[in-house]
Amino acid sequence: MSNETSTTGLAGDSKAADFEPRITAFVCNWCTYTGADLAGTSRLRMASNVRIIRLPCTGRIDPLFIIKAFERGADGVIVSGCHPADCHYTAGNYHARRRFAVFHDLMQFVGVDPGRITFSWVSASEGAKWRDVVNEAVGKARELGPFTEYRTLNQHNVSADHVREPAVCAAATKGGEEA
Amino acid sequence: MRCSDEGRRGGVKELRDLARQLLADGTVDVVVGWEDSSRGARPIFAGTPEEADKLIFDTRCLHNLATYLNPRRKQVTDLGKLALVIKGCDAKAVAGLLREMQLDRERVVLIGVRCGGVCEDSMAPEPVALTPETVAPRCHGCDNREPHLVDHLLGEPRPEPPVPLLTLDERVAALDALTPAQLWEYWTAQFEKCVRCYACRQVCPMCVCERCVADKSRPQWIETASHPRGNFSWNVTRALHLAGRCVGCGECERFCPAGIPLAVLNRKLQRVVKERYDYRVADDPEVKTPIGDYRLDDQQEFIK
Amino acid sequence: MTEPLFLSHEALADLVAGLIAAGTAVIGPAPAGGPVIPGLEERQRPTVTGMYGTLEYREVRSADDLALGPGMPRLSLKQFFLPQNEALFAWKRRGAETEIHETPTTFNPRVVLGAKPCDVAALEIVDAVMNWEYHDELWNGRRAATTIFALACGVEDDHCFCPSVGVAPDTTKGADGLFTPVSGGFLVEATTDKGRVFLESYGAHFSAPPAGGTDEARAYREAAHGRVGANVQIDAVRVKDWIEHHFEDPFWATLGVRCNGCGACTMVCPTCHCFDIVDEEEGVGCGTRRRCWDTCQAGKFTLHASNHNPRADQIARYRQRINHKFAVYPVKFDEVLCTGCGRCVRTCQMGQNIGEILVAIDQYAQQTGEAPDTTDVAAPPAEVAP
Repeated sequence: MSNETSTTGLAGDSKAADFEPRITAFVCNWCTYTGADLAGTSRLRMASNVRIIRLPCTGRIDPLFIIKAFERGADGVIVSGCHPADCHYTAGNYHARRRFAVFHDLMQFVGVDPGRITFSWVSASEGAKWRDVVNEAVGKARELGPFTEYRTLNQHNVSADHVREPAVCAAATKGGEEA
Repeated sequence: MRCSDEGRRGGVKELRDLARQLLADGTVDVVVGWEDSSRGARPIFAGTPEEADKLIFDTRCLHNLATYLNPRRKQVTDLGKLALVIKGCDAKAVAGLLREMQLDRERVVLIGVRCGGVCEDSMAPEPVALTPETVAPRCHGCDNREPHLVDHLLGEPRPEPPVPLLTLDERVAALDALTPAQLWEYWTAQFEKCVRCYACRQVCPMCVCERCVADKSRPQWIETASHPRGNFSWNVTRALHLAGRCVGCGECERFCPAGIPLAVLNRKLQRVVKERYDYRVADDPEVKTPIGDYRLDDQQEFIK
Repeated sequence: MTEPLFLSHEALADLVAGLIAAGTAVIGPAPAGGPVIPGLEERQRPTVTGMYGTLEYREVRSADDLALGPGMPRLSLKQFFLPQNEALFAWKRRGAETEIHETPTTFNPRVVLGAKPCDVAALEIVDAVMNWEYHDELWNGRRAATTIFALACGVEDDHCFCPSVGVAPDTTKGADGLFTPVSGGFLVEATTDKGRVFLESYGAHFSAPPAGGTDEARAYREAAHGRVGANVQIDAVRVKDWIEHHFEDPFWATLGVRCNGCGACTMVCPTCHCFDIVDEEEGVGCGTRRRCWDTCQAGKFTLHASNHNPRADQIARYRQRINHKFAVYPVKFDEVLCTGCGRCVRTCQMGQNIGEILVAIDQYAQQTGEAPDTTDVAAPPAEVAP
């Protein structure tokens, strides 16, 4: 329950051996997606907790995607794209850089641990860097524990008279915990 | 204009004369300003000389009247050409609308007033003398007490407003010093109160989108339900969409019936764009907004 | 009404403790809590200023939390019967089948102590629409589970106008009983069977009224009647008739143009009950259907799927608010959808004053002859006569 987990960010059973963080990665098609593919074809060993969502450019990434990922059960998010000056669309990543600087500072200000959101520039040839970014993001999320307190915010401080919502969604009951 | 009879007869007379003249010679159809009423100072849409004589300007004139320039407000656009009485913060909002091409400059005559700060209670029966207790925190650090984007500029130069007991920057700094867990607890307790009336959006002069992202239902990005998860999404998104655009008028917080400290949230982002991009909103429509712009050497310390 | 009994302040503390120990939630007016920035506790003023009130209705842990005296809680009692958001049911698709898990409509027992009579009367007024054609069992379930004792009101300020809409500072409409402040405590009377049963069950905390207690209580209530009598006075029937026959009057334009459509008035109103229903998908093939407070002042409130909006501007929407509360609802249910609590006046930062508006309508209604019925909204608006 969110009330029990909110003060430390760690759920009671987060240290249980079976907690596998779920990371959503929003990556640009031209650089990071190709870099991730290179990591795969190079048989680099890395954590397998990441689900990749491919977009044409980091400039397309709306911060709402990240918020939605947390709402739906992500324990961490990666946003990654082309290095400055390498954007396939010339300036998409420059726009993204400002947008995400502000988003990063805002999320920190409202109490989302910065360890939960990773931003990176990973080029098409940086398979090894992608591996490092992924491993680090997964490790950080593992340390912070499941981000239950975010997705169960809809139940936060529900008063005694307010009947508990039936919780039937898989996202809300990940790992068998009652939302 | 002083909060005294002398001031009321002095600067306010200029304002009423100008309003009467603009109406009489047909320059405008309506002068939008403030009147004294059963609810203190409140907006008036003066269309006749008698109504123009009701115009006032004192420390209770908190409202950002630029909110009436929202092109989606048919009941206001139907009135025809407007004259708008604006303080410095209001002028920044007008500049913002011009910058974002939401407003035709020919549609409005801007009557700027020199401002010495406002109090927090527009509904006080009499103008309130400004002291550290009564002055609105939003006025601290104002750089536009004599608005530039105007067709007319009225009133005597005013002294700087007193420093409030607790400034917005002090509250931002105190929050910045907290741990993520403490911040999470503070903001979830605040967002829990939100009833999703969207008063903050309705009063904000910069929130003029025809289809607000919160109203978009295919797909529904922002959960409309007023539980803390949906409220988190809404309040964070609105703050983000205002980054670099918010003029710091503080009306969002004043209007919120749930008492959420929205001015603190928006102030934080004002500080972020100042520190990262040396940007402060000005009432000059030619200056670009920071989030729609970029430099090759922008900060990226948060990116691996 | 039963014979009045006396509840001392000390006995009230025991009563509250006893109720909580028995598993009954106690709800009442309490100082508005709210998070304070750590480190600024001493310096921070509440963000809710005096205009909104520094009290709120909430579940209390002891009688120490209760503030049974002057002061209008910021939001009304509505949130305890129609929560600002609640689940209706959750669904999950399993193959070709869909499971529906409905929210139960039975609730744990609760007692409301010391609510404003205007807030309590509002519940009975809204009962009518909640049981009109469809019986709203979530509302009804909460009503059934709650025993309500109102606190006779001393009149908040000059924005109260409860007698004009059929309510009074000591009305027991919607209540199971009434507390009236007297020296040392309260006189308590029950007005329904539920209230009588409550007084019997907890009889140990009540005693006979002290000498002069009933006189003191009567004087308190009469003084309140006198005070509120000096506020806005209108004839609600005359107002209803004028509204019904002046839908296109230019008067409406003078109101709608100032309004921002922020909806704060509807949120704080004890009788406003409109809600929106949304289906929130929260995972693959599963989600929750919820309802949340909505406001007729929102631009898209009446937006049709065809993109036609019958209330396309704020003039139409503000007119709708007055029309619904003072004409449509009275015609349908023989009740004004307003209890004169004055919250909308205190909350509106643009200065819309419903008392002033009703007085203006009542004045127009009293003028001889029909006022001109025009649709010329382009004309400069005439200001409302004070």
